[in-house]
Amino acid sequence: MKISTRGRYGLRLLVDLAEHRNEGPVALSQVARRQELSEKYLQQVALMLTRGGFLTSVKGSGGGYQLKGNPEKIAIYDVLDLLEGTITFAETAPGQESAIERVIRLHFYQNLDQEVRKVFENISLAEVTRAEWFTYMI
Amino acid sequence: MKLSTKGRYSLQTMVYLATCKENCSIRSISEATGISSGYLEQLMIPLRRAKLVVAERGVQGGYRIARSGITCHDVLSASEGDFHPAPCQDCGRSEACKTHQIWSLLQNAVVDYSKQVYIEDLASHLVEQEVGGGI
Repeated sequence: MKISTRGRYGLRLLVDLAEHRNEGPVALSQVARRQELSEKYLQQVALMLTRGGFLTSVKGSGGGYQLKGNPEKIAIYDVLDLLEGTITFAETAPGQESAIERVIRLHFYQNLDQEVRKVFENISLAEVTRAEWFTYMI
Repeated sequence: MKLSTKGRYSLQTMVYLATCKENCSIRSISEATGISSGYLEQLMIPLRRAKLVVAERGVQGGYRIARSGITCHDVLSASEGDFHPAPCQDCGRSEACKTHQIWSLLQNAVVDYSKQVYIEDLASHLVEQEVGGGI
């Protein structure tokens, strides 16, 4: 199980924009420099985050991207759910699922998904930005 | 976000073996799980090395689960290696990166839960349904 590059870079983009949200629209070239990520790749992720309702884009000179909502209210779960398609271990029950596959899905993967959901639903973008998630580790 | 085929098939194999009272041939595991015999032979190598399954030669030979108390985490670490949701361990920016610890949280949640789930408990759900080699 891996979080995709899109998920990882997208979250870094959001954290960077949350940190600089008082500066007006931020050009992706700045984010790319600060985060040492490819600007081209950030453009793709930014487009997806805009369509998903997390960012607004401002066109023209001085334009760029801004966070759309309040970072206190953005759950990391929702961000990753968009970027990853879905963050679940359980595969959607296929028609010819064997009895063994079914037992593992119902009694392991689905519970695992609940654990992952619990972790990410309770962390907001603002908490990541302030690095407050650290208290969850203890 | 999914486990590798190797990890998922290894779990299925172990759950099946836990339902069996006697040694299982690769063929019978293959029939129960739908995993090809050739692939099963591959899966058995790390499981044997981690002492999770025992192989016996001879007429009554085959594979059996090595002991009770094996968790999903034991199986997945044998077949997939350490679980890393993101390739942060090779990244030089991890000190400055605020998202880095997020992936550690995910890793901890998955590892902790996998350690709580026992293969024999999963197998007991199968036995209730009267499926599995032991019946």
